[in-house]
Order: sequence, then structure tokens, then C-alpha cells
Amino acid sequence: MGEFEVHRVRFFGLVPAGVRCLACHPRGARLALARTDGAVEVYNFAANYFQEKVIPGNEARSVESLCWAAGDRLFGAGLGGDITEYDLSRLSAARGVDGGGGPIWSMAANGTGTQLAVGCEDGSVKIFQVVPGGIQFERNLDRRKGRVLCLSWHPSDTHIVAGSIDFFRVIDVASGQTVQRIMVNHHVEKAKRECVVWAIALLSSGTVVSADSFGRVQFWDWEQGTLAESHTVSTSAALSLAVSEKEDSIVVGTSTGATYQLQLLPVKLGGLEKHWVRTKPFQYHSHDVRAVAHSPTALISGGLDAQLVIRPLMEKMQKKSYDAVLRKFTFPHRRLVSCARKARLLLFQFSQHLELWRLGSTEETGKDGEVLPLCQMPEHLVQLKSKGPEHIYSSCVSPCGTWVSYSTASRFQLYRVHCDGDSVSLRKV
Amino acid sequence: MVSPGALRVVRCGGSTLRGARAVFSADSYLLCAAGDFVKVYSVSTEETLRLMGGHADLVTGIQLNPHNHMQLYSSSLDGTIKLWDFMDGIPIKTFTVGSKLLALYTPASAEESVFVVIPKKGERDTFQLVSVKLTKGAGQDLEAKDLSVVLDGVGVSMKHIAFGREGEYVVSVKDVNLQVYFFKRKLLNRFSLSTVKTKGGDNHFSCVVCHPTEDCIATGHADGKIRLWRNFHHRKEYTYSTLHWHHDIVMDLAFSMEGSRLLSGGVESVLVQWHNESSCQKDFLPRLGSPIEYISMSSDGALCCTLHTDNRITIINSNLRFSRSIQGLIKSRDVKTGLVVDPRTKALVLNGEPGHLQFYSLQSDQQLFSLDIVQRQYIHQAGLKQSDLVKVAFSAQGTWLATVEESEEVTDPELQLKLWFYSEETQSFKLNTRINTPHDNHITDMCFRDMDELEDDSLILVTTGRDCVFKVWVMVEDSDPEAQQSVSWSCDFVGSYHNYQATNCCFSEDGSLLAVSFEETVTVWDSLTWDLKCTFCHPPGNIRNICFGRLTCSKYLIGATDYGFLCCWNLLTCALEWSAHLNVVVLQPDPLSEHIAAVSWLSKESSLFVFKPNEPRPIYIQRNLCKEKILLAVFVPRDEPEIISSEKYLWLRRSQLFFLTDTQELMTLSTKSLEERLTPSSKQLAVEGSLPVTPFSLLLGKHRCQQAQEDIDLGKPVVRHKQEQASPAVKELLHTPAHVLPSASFLCTIFINSLLISKENKSAEETADEVEMESEEAESDSDEEDVTEMEQEDTSHMELLGEMTCKLSKSQEKELRKIRKTDYSWISAF
Repeated sequence: MGEFEVHRVRFFGLVPAGVRCLACHPRGARLALARTDGAVEVYNFAANYFQEKVIPGNEARSVESLCWAAGDRLFGAGLGGDITEYDLSRLSAARGVDGGGGPIWSMAANGTGTQLAVGCEDGSVKIFQVVPGGIQFERNLDRRKGRVLCLSWHPSDTHIVAGSIDFFRVIDVASGQTVQRIMVNHHVEKAKRECVVWAIALLSSGTVVSADSFGRVQFWDWEQGTLAESHTVSTSAALSLAVSEKEDSIVVGTSTGATYQLQLLPVKLGGLEKHWVRTKPFQYHSHDVRAVAHSPTALISGGLDAQLVIRPLMEKMQKKSYDAVLRKFTFPHRRLVSCARKARLLLFQFSQHLELWRLGSTEETGKDGEVLPLCQMPEHLVQLKSKGPEHIYSSCVSPCGTWVSYSTASRFQLYRVHCDGDSVSLRKV
Repeated sequence: MVSPGALRVVRCGGSTLRGARAVFSADSYLLCAAGDFVKVYSVSTEETLRLMGGHADLVTGIQLNPHNHMQLYSSSLDGTIKLWDFMDGIPIKTFTVGSKLLALYTPASAEESVFVVIPKKGERDTFQLVSVKLTKGAGQDLEAKDLSVVLDGVGVSMKHIAFGREGEYVVSVKDVNLQVYFFKRKLLNRFSLSTVKTKGGDNHFSCVVCHPTEDCIATGHADGKIRLWRNFHHRKEYTYSTLHWHHDIVMDLAFSMEGSRLLSGGVESVLVQWHNESSCQKDFLPRLGSPIEYISMSSDGALCCTLHTDNRITIINSNLRFSRSIQGLIKSRDVKTGLVVDPRTKALVLNGEPGHLQFYSLQSDQQLFSLDIVQRQYIHQAGLKQSDLVKVAFSAQGTWLATVEESEEVTDPELQLKLWFYSEETQSFKLNTRINTPHDNHITDMCFRDMDELEDDSLILVTTGRDCVFKVWVMVEDSDPEAQQSVSWSCDFVGSYHNYQATNCCFSEDGSLLAVSFEETVTVWDSLTWDLKCTFCHPPGNIRNICFGRLTCSKYLIGATDYGFLCCWNLLTCALEWSAHLNVVVLQPDPLSEHIAAVSWLSKESSLFVFKPNEPRPIYIQRNLCKEKILLAVFVPRDEPEIISSEKYLWLRRSQLFFLTDTQELMTLSTKSLEERLTPSSKQLAVEGSLPVTPFSLLLGKHRCQQAQEDIDLGKPVVRHKQEQASPAVKELLHTPAHVLPSASFLCTIFINSLLISKENKSAEETADEVEMESEEAESDSDEEDVTEMEQEDTSHMELLGEMTCKLSKSQEKELRKIRKTDYSWISAF
């Protein structure tokens, strides 16, 4: 081994974007993830949860909801009011369609993947048909006041349940009429506060599962409109929930960073009567868990602390293998730093700008592990802002440190760096 | 009756309640295993109603008979299971199993068999759960040898095994392993938690309980977590959720009857109630005083009770409100103060709760009150240095109390001497003087000058310390005009002897002489001039105890040394009168007589010697007093001298001798037989409590109240308190169970006869008669002189339906025995 100088680069102030939503591919092979800056990432489960694709974000486009439909097509919708289909081969957003109901808070695809339902700011739920090459507006369902924060299809595609502030409603898809409207803020002494239904799911048995801002996960019989069970999982809000395919397990994310698993367990061993029991708590996140997903073998959660955590379910694992390991994606799995070795320069990539730094240097030598005093402090040379709403996808600095380049989804830029003494200048090529 | 010659050692309190969970009977009695006994408490009055003895060793488990809720099974280390009728305190059957029984379970599903934990044969420290078939058969003593092993490698505590819903499975926990055995499917599942202590967690199991209606197991852990296990019939897909509030080990858990609530307790002295197995909804009952050891629920769910490590029992309402507490002799960590008798209340005074002084009434086996001496919040935490009370002394009249507290640091103890004055207005002790660091090292002994007749001014307190001095403290007039009190205490004299550590001090009876022992030497000082009068020495060995003789023997000084010598010095001749080779642990003079009791500890048995100082021959010797080591003893003056027939026990006439063993059990010597001793308590166990309140009895009770009211209005005093004075025989017959009484028609005439009006008690009788007619139940036959007593009893026992009032002569009793077997169960139907 040779001798190395190790630089402690503590001046890369990257703030990773939090995870906004997750969408598990129905067949469980891929996971799509959207961050708060609008970037969309695709992970491949089969390849050890490899980060397969990254579509950089766009200032003008936020993603509130993602869903897979019609096979391998990925759709996203956000507060911009557009429904965007992503081109996964060219890693770009393609074909945006205006939802026509203001900002879109939620979107869900039906079981066959042929239709998309979107919930809008104005309280409408709209159905879009997925057609080859795009989507097509089909019809509006019954519109009620209050933004639609979450949506869920019945597995048989006959009903949609839509959660709003203080209530949720069940809509018959065929007729487009609201067939049940259930207030969720009853039986709470702090009823003056509004109760936000942050996440909802409609099970095949007709049970509606809602997660609300009082930290409750409630199970409703929508036909009777009655509350079957209520579990207060947290003192703060329950923000997200996901149901397993077999509908025997639910994962809930809360604003304290804890996720909980609820399981449908028999009251008596071997008996038919079952009830939901909160079983395992997990505390992996430091901030709100905005998105959760339930793959057949793992609980997946993503939080505002930008972590993606995949917690395999031990009881589903046949043997101890690489799959049975807890995974945490705490830092971006992309190259955001490039180094000009000769010129001792570092280029940092941020979503909208680049920073060029000169490393500090020392004249002393020391033993392993010793901290050497710096004779020259690290120096911030230049900050380069990109133009337009698109985020920078990749960047590079040449080894000699005279060329800097970056690219966005549509453009490529090359700059020449002039260093004369203390002053540094950039020239666009 | 035992022949009057025998002197028996009687346990009279403080026996540990920690053998097993308490059991609520169906009719609001609380049954506790207490040492070798089973105690029956009344939930409503907190009284000890009955003491059921018969086991030869520690009782390890008590359970109600699931098929008859008036019967109780108890198991003991002596290898027997006893079936009791706890209403009458009668052992019905004794099953001898043979090996030590460490826990007992009686699930309702198991017919004719119970489950016990026994040590595995051939292996040490391995225990197994076996089912014992209780053979049916005539006779009291039966063999139960039909054992079948259910689970191997179980924990030794009764908290480590629980039976599931309807007895379908049994759960056992040990270390980090949990075993579930399903009886029907004969399936055994084992689960284990990781042994690694991550994040300060410790996964070791501490207790287990099962949900009464659902298949859910709750386990407590050493790190304070509670896990709720479900789906445990799958080896893989089992799951558990966690509740966490306790910061240290969860000592016990209990489910409510429906299973909607879970109670947990630990060293925090806080009872936590979890609702619906949710970690968000929980209620607390804090400040229960001491760590919770066991929790049990009554079968109707209305009450729960916690047993604490200091032998306190707390009864708690279903809405988690403190209801009442049953506290006998509180077990403290270490009785450093010794046994002291409060001259005022004749209560026994010793360490109680940490930092408190408990006043324990010997007569009622109850704590009178607890005086906070240290006045600091006690925090349960391992390794924390606490201040505790080490010495206590009363002045002769009980007006002054001196206490010494010290912190646990060995090298540099923080010492405080406090003097308390008894305030007549508030009826409690009030702090008068606090002296910080009265000595530079541990205080070894302390005594007041015991002079009954003298004024308060001559009161002198002497303390001896390891800093090689003894100090004399006197009261002085307080010069500070702003001070609230007129007197305070200050040091008057400091004495020392050749720089030896002072170990004991003692005043002579008249107060003129003070004896202070300095290691090997006893010094005698004049208490007026503080001159050293003489010294005594009996090498080798340090002086362990000294005391002066009393009354006719006041010229003698007794000392016990480490090397096993008991010496008696004559103060007039300053010479050794006699000495005996005896390893004396406790030397205790009787304040009311010349007798001195010495307890020796030799080859693992305690022996008692009672002697007079003027003769070297002991007047009484009892070898092998008890198997535990006796640490402390005290003579408690009797209220009135007891009539003792035997010459041998005359020394017990004026005072009673009490011992405290190393397990903090209080014992005494009694000349009375067991029956005599028990009568006052057992006669209180009445049937009234056992009868459910029916609308009819309520109606009758109401009517009775009205009647009593009328009586008062008419100025006819109804004397009620006399019933307590009724002879025990009458009482016993009053409370004779219905099924052993003859038919009502037979007794009716006798009873009516007994109610015949006598002139001097006319008014009372009228009332009695009236009510009698209504109930037509109570019957009695009494001797003529008992008539008045009986009537008053009748008036106050009206709600006792089905109760017979009778006092029978011997011939009538014989008759009764003949017809006892007839069925009178119809009476209880009322």
C-alpha cells in the first residue's frame, strides 16, 4: 500500500431530497420512487435492489403520486396539475396531460392497469383511460368539496374510495355516484381540529383502512358505514399506509419516523375470527415517513430524511440469504462528486447548480491516522448555476481542472475554467 | 389442648408474602401465601381473618379449586399439596407428591389433576412441569405419585409458566426462550430471542401471562419491555408487538377478565394499565411505595391487588384507584435500627420503607404509622447511594425520639442525628434538633438515660462512634428568641478511652452509671461528673453487647464478647462474678424484671437462654429455637401480667419476648396452645361476607335500619358493642356453617326459649323478637346467663340470613353431631 492523503471533505452541503412517494410494480419486480424535488428513481428488486434508473427532477414538476399501469408504464402526477408518463428507456418525462382539476394530490391505477383515477384539489375524481401512447380523459366522478388526498381502487375495480379532510367517501365507478360518505373525526375529544385522511386503502372484503392525522389506523365497513377497529399507532399523524397483496398485513408510516406493521391474526388459534393487531414497530427514519410500500417479502418505507429502507420480513424468508438483510439507502446512489486529480479540484453537483472547490493542502507528514494541520484551507472557487427548470443530471471536471461540463435532460454545457492567481473565471464553450 | 408445660415458638408477623400470587376468592376474601402459612384477609376490612397452617415449609403456590370456589389448593416446598376449605380453615385433603413443589397451577380444563413444578431428578437447577393426578379416595392423607412430565427445562418461579385460554396450551419462559405446548395437538413450539444486549436492551424473560379469551401471550422482560405474542402455533409466522414503559425489569403482568386491559408492574412502584394492547393508551397508578412483585385480579374484575417486595398488599379498584393497603410488618432492606418498643403505643419500632421508621402494632399485626425520618425522595436505582436510618432510641416516656441516619458510603458517611419531640397536639413526632456530623465516623450505639421519675431536664443522650469517642448530648434552653421551640440539644461531654473505637453504651437503671465499651474494654463512668470509675476486660475478643442488670440485680453488668463469652461483672466489687462460654448474638434485658435473654448462634441453630445476673445458671433454655438465624430480640411489656401456671415460664409474666430472624420474620414465645391463640381472629370469619347481596337481604337490611332508627328515636339504646364481648363459644356457634347444623324446626323451640324476655332488658328484647320473627332464621339455645348477650347479638346480626345462633350444651352438641349429615343446603339458598 502506498501513502495517501485523506481529505475530510466537509464542505459538500448537499441536501438530499426526501422521498415523496413509492410505487411497487404489481408483479413486484420494480419499485418506483419519487423525491420531493421531482426526481424519479426506479429500483430493481431482482438485482439486489439496484438503483436502475434515475430521471432527474424539474422545478416546474413536482410528483405527488406515482403508479404503474398497463404493464411497465410509469405515470406520475403532481401539484402542477399534469399527469406525466415517464419514458423509462430515455429517462425523461414524456407526454404530459393536464388533469383539468387543479393540483393533483393522488392517483391510483385500477387492478388491471387500464384506468387511472386522479384526485384533484377541487374535490373531483377523474378517470383516465390508459391507451397506447398516452392517456385519455374518460369521465368525472361525483365531485364533492374538499381536496382528494388519497385514492384507492377496490381490487375488483367496481368502487373507489377517496380520502379528504375530515371524511372519506366511497364512489361507485360504474355510476360515478358517491355511495357512502363517512366522517372520521367522530369520537375524538379534539374534534375541533381537522382530521386529515392521509392514506386510505380499500380491501377486497369491503373494509376501508384509513390513516389519519390523529395517528389512528381505522378499519371501516363501508357498506354499513361503521367503524370496525381503531388502532392508535402514534400520537402524531399516520401519513401513509400500504397493504400486502394477500391483505393480511399493513404497513403504516407516521410523522415521528416510526413505521408500524399491522397484521390480520386469528383471535383463537386455528379459528376463523380474525382481527388486526399492531405488531412490529420500526424506527429507522428521523423524519416523516411519507411513503410506504409492501412487497411480498419486505416492508419498504421512504421518509423526508431521504432514506429508503427495505425491511425484509423474516417469516417470509426461506433461508438466511442476502435478501434477508435490512437495507438502507441513505445517500444518493449517483455520482455527484467529480475530481480533477492533478489540479486538486472537486466539482460538486447540486440539483440546480455546481460548485468547484480547491482542496486544502499541507506541508507536513505524519503517521497513520494522524490529523495534519492545513497550511491552505479548502477554497470555494466558483458556483455555476444552471438555467431553466430542469435539474442537472450529470456533471464532470477534467483531470487537469480546466474543463467543466454538465448536462440536463435536454442540454449539454461545457465550460472552460481560467485560474490566474486568486481570480477564477468561467467561459462558456 | 397442649399440655401447659410446652412453650411454643409462634410466628406472629412479617413472614414473607412473596411465595406466590395472591388469590381473590369469589366472595371478597384475599388469600396470600405467607411463609409456611396461607393467610386469609378480608378485602373490605383489611383484617387478617385466618391463618391456615399445616405446611412444614414455604408455601409456593395457592390456587382456587376450579371446580369448587370455596376450596383452595396450596403447594409447598415440603412436597405436599393441600386442599383447604378456607371458609373454615380446615384442611380437607393432603396429597403427598414427594419432591419439592415450586409452583402450582390449577387450570379448569384439567380434570382431577393439577400442575406443579418440581426439580428434575438427577440434574441440579433443572426443573420440569409435571401434571399430578389427584387420586380420589377416602381419608385425609393421600399419595399422589401419578406424575407425567409436560415440559422440561422450565423456570423456577411461578411467574414463568402460564396456562392459555381454556387450558389449551401452556407457556413457559426461561432466559431468552419461550416454549408453547399445545395439549390437544401435542405440539411443542420454541421461540428464542437474541441474547445480545443491543441498545441497552436485555431480552431475558421475567414473567408470562396468557390472554383469557384470545390466543395471545404477554411476556415481561428484564429491560422493561412487554411483548405480546400471537400466531405462535406457527414456527415461522409468529409475531409479536412490543409495549414499553418500564425502565427496569417487568416484575409481573396480569390481564383483566375480558383481556381488554393488561396490568404491569415493576421496581418503579408504578402500576401501568394498558388498554387494548395499545402502547398509546395507558394509565398509571404511581407511588405505590415499593417495587411490585405480584399482580393478581379478582375473578369478577372489580379489584386487583399487588404484592410488594416489602410485604405490603395494595388493593386497587378496577378504575385504577388506590383502594386500601394491607400492611403488616414492612420488610426493609436491612433492619439496622434493631427492635425498639415505643413506650407510648407499645408498638414495635424498626426500619420500614427506605428512610422511614415504622410503628408496628403487635396486637393487630398492622402498621400503625410510618414516620419519615430522612425526608428525601427515595429513587429506585441500582448503585445510587441512599441515606438510611441506622439507629433509633426513645426516651423513657416516649416524648423524645433520637434517630441517626447515614448515607451508604463506607469511607465518609454523611451522618445526621435528629431529635424528635412528641407533640400531643398533632399526635406525632416533630423534629426538634438536627445535628450534622455528630461523629466523624459511623455511630455504633445510642441510648437515653432511662429515668422514669426524673424531670425532662435531666434527659441525657449518649452516642458512641467509631471515631473513638462517645458524646453526651443534653437539652439546653434556646437563647435565640426567634426560635419556635424553647429547647434544643447540644453536646455536653466528649469521652474517650485509649483511642479505641466505642462500640456500645448503656445506662444503669438508676441512671447514675454509664457503661461504654471500647473494643475489648468496658468502661464505667459516673453520669454526674463524667469521671471514669472502673474498667472491665475479658480478653480476647471485642465486646459485642453490654447491659446492666435491673431491680435486685442492678449491681451487675453483663457483657458478651466476640469470642463467645458471656461475662457478668459485679460493680460493687469490680470483679468478674461469673462467665460462661456462649456465642451470644443478642443480649436483651427485660425492662420489667431481672431477667436477661441471650440468644446464641451455634452450628446453624439459635438457642435461647434466660438468666438472672445474680446466678450463673440459666433459668430457662430452649435449644433450636428456629431454623433461621435470629438477629434481634426485644421484650415487650404486657398490658397486664399474664397468668402463667408453670414456674418455668414466670419470666414471661410481665413481658413478651419477640425475635426477628434474618428473613425478617417476627416470632414470639407463647405458652398458649394454637387453638387459644387463634380464637380471637378466627371467630371473625363470618359467613356474612360469603353471601351475595340479594334484593331480599337489602330489603331486610333497610327494614332493620329503620327499626334501629325508631329505637333511637324512642330513646331506647340498642347496645351493639357488646356483641364483640360475647364469649367465643357463642360466636363459634353463631358462625357454624349451615350444613353442620340441625334442622330449623328442631332448633326453633330452643332458640325461642332463649329469647324469653327478662325484665331488665325489655326494650332490647322487643326489638330483637320483632326482627327475629321476620327472618325466622336465627335460632339459639343458650344458658340462662347468656340471654342478654344473645339478644343483643341478634339485633345486630339480622342480615345474616341462614345463620344460626346457638349455644349448645354438651349433650345437645352430641345430638347435633348425630344429625349433622342431613342436608340443610336449602338454608343457604336464602
